Amino acid sequence: MRLGAEERALLTVLPGHLVSLLEGVGDTPPADLPGALRRLLPPAYTTDPDAERAYVSMTRQDLVEHHRESLETMSVTANATWLDDEQIVAWLAALNDLRLALGSILGVTEDEVEVPMVHTHQAEWITYLYLGSLQSELIDVLERTLPDPVPGADDLVPEDHWGEPPGGLRWDGTPQPRHR
Amino acid sequence: MPSLQARDRAMTGIPIGSTVAPTEVERPETHQVAVPEMPWLVIVWNDPINLMTYVTYVFQKLFGYSREKAHKLMLDVHYKGRAVVSSGPKERAELDVARLHQHGLWATMEHSG
Repeated sequence: MRLGAEERALLTVLPGHLVSLLEGVGDTPPADLPGALRRLLPPAYTTDPDAERAYVSMTRQDLVEHHRESLETMSVTANATWLDDEQIVAWLAALNDLRLALGSILGVTEDEVEVPMVHTHQAEWITYLYLGSLQSELIDVLERTLPDPVPGADDLVPEDHWGEPPGGLRWDGTPQPRHR
Repeated sequence: MPSLQARDRAMTGIPIGSTVAPTEVERPETHQVAVPEMPWLVIVWNDPINLMTYVTYVFQKLFGYSREKAHKLMLDVHYKGRAVVSSGPKERAELDVARLHQHGLWATMEHSG
């Protein structure tokens, strides 16, 4: 891995911030979590509070642990010269987690792919985009390690019963962004 | 990762209806109709953060879909706002949602029908 000293320093320190945010989330419902964590611990049921509570109590601990392990793996291997397969997978997850947290804080929308000219969070934006480019590189590597498709798996996907673009709302009630 | 064969076993189709034998003219009064349980749908929602290549990769990795299928589902998510990526009994759907959540995707589940 060819990374600069500053990049390695960032990848060592940044995960720790998110790990400390994840500490003590308990079974807090997704809607009551701080913005940075909502995308990391999303709801499964959006219209059934009882089912959602049961889902959270069943899965939350594992999910937090999964995020924490990936982030810590990246932090402790940020200065490594090479990574094994398991560590690359952990990096991919950690980078995605950091982007989800940062992107939520920054309020990233569909069309913003460049650092806005005037923005109060310029450093965070640059970090966010940097993490995305690093993640892209890892995906290129990991795509080649995927096993062959499972025969017949494609046919198991149910038909999209909504048909053409609903043009409606996201699950959280916010409008679906328009595409050019 | 749970075996995909196990997943396949869980995804048995729903019988369309039982054919009544022609000789059977009278129906029993307490006729028990085996109502197949409607499957749960696992839905992935569009979000502005996850990379398109990442979403495609996750669909391939978790569900064993071909690259083409995974790519098409990703495009559905991106352009239609959501896509059904798997279906099955409640427990199976919850497991799929949990795996998608571990990969940072915006997944929910709902009862079909």
